[in-house]
Amino acid sequence: MSSIWFLEGIRKGRKTEKFPKASPKEPPLWPSRLEGKGEVDCPTNAIDNNAWDSGKCVFCRRCEQSYKPSLDQDIFTVKDTNQLFRKSFYLYKLDSGSCGACNVELGTIFDPQYDANRLNIFTTNTPRHADAIVVMGVMTDGMKEALQKAYEAMPDPKLIIALGTCAISGGVIGKSALPRDQYNVEISGCPPSPYTILKAISRARGD
Amino acid sequence: MKWYKFGKPSGRLIGQVDEFIVHSDSILEVEDSTAVKRVNYHKVPGEFVFAYGPSTGGLMESVGFDLFTPGELINHVDVDPNFKKRTLQVKGKSVQDALLVVERINGFHSVSNSIAFASAVEDALGIEISDEIRHTRILMMELERIRSHLEVVKRVCEPAGFGVPSNQIGYLREEVSRIISRATGHRFFFSSNGVGTVHFNANGIVPALDKIVNEFDHIFRGLLQSKIFLNRLQNNGRAHHPNLLGPAARASGLSVDARMDSGTISYKDIDFNPVLQEEADSFARFMVRSREIFQSAEIIRSLENVGDFKSADISVSGSGEGAARVESPQGDLFYYVNLEDGVVEDLKMVSPSYMNILAFEDSIVGNIFTDFHFNWESFGIWVSEIGVEIR
Ligand code: SF4
Ligand code: SF4
Repeated sequence: MSSIWFLEGIRKGRKTEKFPKASPKEPPLWPSRLEGKGEVDCPTNAIDNNAWDSGKCVFCRRCEQSYKPSLDQDIFTVKDTNQLFRKSFYLYKLDSGSCGACNVELGTIFDPQYDANRLNIFTTNTPRHADAIVVMGVMTDGMKEALQKAYEAMPDPKLIIALGTCAISGGVIGKSALPRDQYNVEISGCPPSPYTILKAISRARGD
Repeated sequence: MKWYKFGKPSGRLIGQVDEFIVHSDSILEVEDSTAVKRVNYHKVPGEFVFAYGPSTGGLMESVGFDLFTPGELINHVDVDPNFKKRTLQVKGKSVQDALLVVERINGFHSVSNSIAFASAVEDALGIEISDEIRHTRILMMELERIRSHLEVVKRVCEPAGFGVPSNQIGYLREEVSRIISRATGHRFFFSSNGVGTVHFNANGIVPALDKIVNEFDHIFRGLLQSKIFLNRLQNNGRAHHPNLLGPAARASGLSVDARMDSGTISYKDIDFNPVLQEEADSFARFMVRSREIFQSAEIIRSLENVGDFKSADISVSGSGEGAARVESPQGDLFYYVNLEDGVVEDLKMVSPSYMNILAFEDSIVGNIFTDFHFNWESFGIWVSEIGVEIR
């Protein structure tokens, strides 16, 4: 039986894109880096003093007259890296209060188009085996303890990655999962595209 | 309110939110905000409680399970969707600002939510939508359904140990996300829907979708030939529950679908009959979702009149009460709004996962631990749409 699926896998051929070495094949317009100038009526104050903070943006298009999406998917900040994780990088995902879309996009980087495994990026079901915790969603009362416990259970060295505007700044939903200065990596988007997620996570290892 | 009236129960039970008990045709106001709820279970001697969750890599979202068991057999489960309960501020906001929050209640089903909300606002303000917009909304909802069903079928394959088909379906799910991105500019339809309008470009959708559905047909036939796969799903998690909604209901032979009995987004000019299975188990839920992928593609092919709309700009003023109900990929999704000069005074939402979680709890009784995962995944429940409080 399993051999049928094995052959099926071969029949379909290679579907993985060359990203991040090559440019993204199908980057979405929203989210992507916004370019423009001027003050606008932004629901999250992502534009302040003519400067755009991708970590506050929910990509609602209200500023579209003055700020245009550029398709550029490099909307992430890597503040700390650790080269120890180059051989294998295990992620523990933690949903502190998400709408579900960030969860789906994180899962998507393991689909054949992106195939994060080829870059030695994996997920683990327990924080004890994790190198990084990926936090998605706003902070909720019920998940505070789970987040704290998961972080404490992780061995050193470890990274905290914020995935999506809710986790980074709260967006239009609530309060950020953690204070912004605690994140080692911030991945912008509501939700971030799989291209942004894959590149940011791969950069966190010093790539 | 064109489609709803306050008063005694009429039609199917959809669920409860605060003091509203919602049926398919009526809203009953009650004092007890927990009238529709689960039974209280008390541990019996010899049983212990195994707590699973709220956070584990094996689950899509944070959710807690208390499994009551004497060993291998599960006697009862309590599902707690409230660990990640979000409190969303909507009341006092403009319709436009409220919409930003509404489409993030369940981001994976955002178009069902935003269309139900926009339709409730249109109902409140007496705004009629053209057939062109209605058909475009149907197209959007059927695309969302296809992607959602692919995700659930993929997630049923995973715990069954079927990695290759799971991967292949993941590939197809991503191709649908790309269709949605090309048509709306956003992979989850965010900001593509508004009151009286949509932002959508239907060019090229049908051929791209045909390719995906043909590939899925191939995988689906392969799965049906696998005895191991069928054995794992059949007789697992039987759910015969009078108040089931959506695909889980249709998998138990109940002919239940908002596309048939809701006036909100009418399917009257569309050739549509609900997909039914009788077995009521994980297999039947897998079958209904798989067959609905073909059906939704057929509906999309049949739609004429679907245009290229550029603007989702809305400016809303006026006051009134409105209610709407649509068939989200998980089942009936209900919205009620009360507007005062274009400002949301009150908003209530009943999600299908609410009733289906109660049915899931019933279905697991008598199952063993190893069956737990498929059964949970086969219901396709989204915690984000239950663990939420609107203020
Ligand atoms: S897209 Fe929306 S959230 Fe982002 S900067 Fe523009 S107005 Fe603000
Ligand atoms: S950032 Fe956006 S997509 Fe992610 S959980 Fe928050 S609302 Fe959902």
